[in-house]
Amino acid sequence: MAQSKGWVRRYFKAFCKGFFVAVPVAVTFLDRVACVARVEGASMQPSLNPGGSQSSDVVLLNHWKVRNFEVQRGDIVSLVSPKNPEQKIIKRVIALEGDIVKTMGHKNRYVKVPRGHIWVEGDHHGHSFDSNSFGPQKETTTIVYFHALCCHILQFSLPQPGWNSQVFN
Amino acid sequence: MLYLCIEILTAIKRNNVQMHATTFRNLGNIMPGQWWQSLHRTMLRGVLGKTFRLVGYTIQYGCIAHCAFEYVGGVVMCSGPSMEPTIQNSDVVFAENLSRHFYGIQRGDIVIAKSPSDPKSNICKRVIGLEGDKILTNSPSDFFKSHSYVPTGHVWLEGDNLQNSTDSRYYGPIPYGLIRGRIFFKIWPLSDFGFLRDSPNGHRFSDD
Repeated sequence: MAQSKGWVRRYFKAFCKGFFVAVPVAVTFLDRVACVARVEGASMQPSLNPGGSQSSDVVLLNHWKVRNFEVQRGDIVSLVSPKNPEQKIIKRVIALEGDIVKTMGHKNRYVKVPRGHIWVEGDHHGHSFDSNSFGPQKETTTIVYFHALCCHILQFSLPQPGWNSQVFN
Repeated sequence: MLYLCIEILTAIKRNNVQMHATTFRNLGNIMPGQWWQSLHRTMLRGVLGKTFRLVGYTIQYGCIAHCAFEYVGGVVMCSGPSMEPTIQNSDVVFAENLSRHFYGIQRGDIVIAKSPSDPKSNICKRVIGLEGDKILTNSPSDFFKSHSYVPTGHVWLEGDNLQNSTDSRYYGPIPYGLIRGRIFFKIWPLSDFGFLRDSPNGHRFSDD
């Protein structure tokens, strides 16, 4: 009787020990280093999800690369949607802070990107909820705060040369 | 190599072994093989074992700290005059992150958020309006009142010290995703220990 009790207790102790080591390490890894995500939607065709609704691409989100908030023009990033904080969107960085963007479909023809902001667009113009159209009609700023949550996606394809909006540095 | 030699010399002293070594490179041939191997093994195992254990503990406690600060809460020191008199300069407060993850931030909460102009620094302000609220964007003493609506997914922040606070009146509403946590308890100074007061600017809340 004593032996079986002792076995349960040992098992419980070992479980707790393993739990408190494995779960924090795994969660920290997924938050800080990298995680895997599935891409849905057509706003980044043809780079991501070229097959449409038949097959969703699976991408690796690299958190480690953006730990200092350094991205380049042409990177594909994932960020929290400014319209819906529960949703994450994947777009390409078109312009960084200080750049002037000649927009397509935005109410101001030329926009200067303020400090701490970036301009993002989807590759599939017209099917993309991006910096050209963020927010409802009353929205005054359409430049996204990329540091809400930003991961750099390991690119499997080369950046597209024909971007939607032109950038003047 | 030097470290190895020092260790060997101290071991020799301890074991009272006399040796006549020509060069350190021939050490393995001159000394009795068994003695050399056991010395090597215990030394290496001790040092390496300690190092690995230290690294392991550092990683484990670092990860636990990250999870605690990210998902539960932590202690924060605030600096700046923009939240006086509720929070003075260099006060220490306790912030919790659970409300952010469960989307439970309400009007009147004091929150910590990432600064919209500098992603590496944090700001500490009070939530005046949630999405859809009507906000008075100029001072109530002005004759022509101008209102604006907070867009979906955004919040309007203002500091309690309205004269000396850079907040949403300057840079507009900020997305909900920038909020890091909610402050609800003050720890230091001890004279002000306890839950935080309501806003002294009650007239700013207008959701009519």
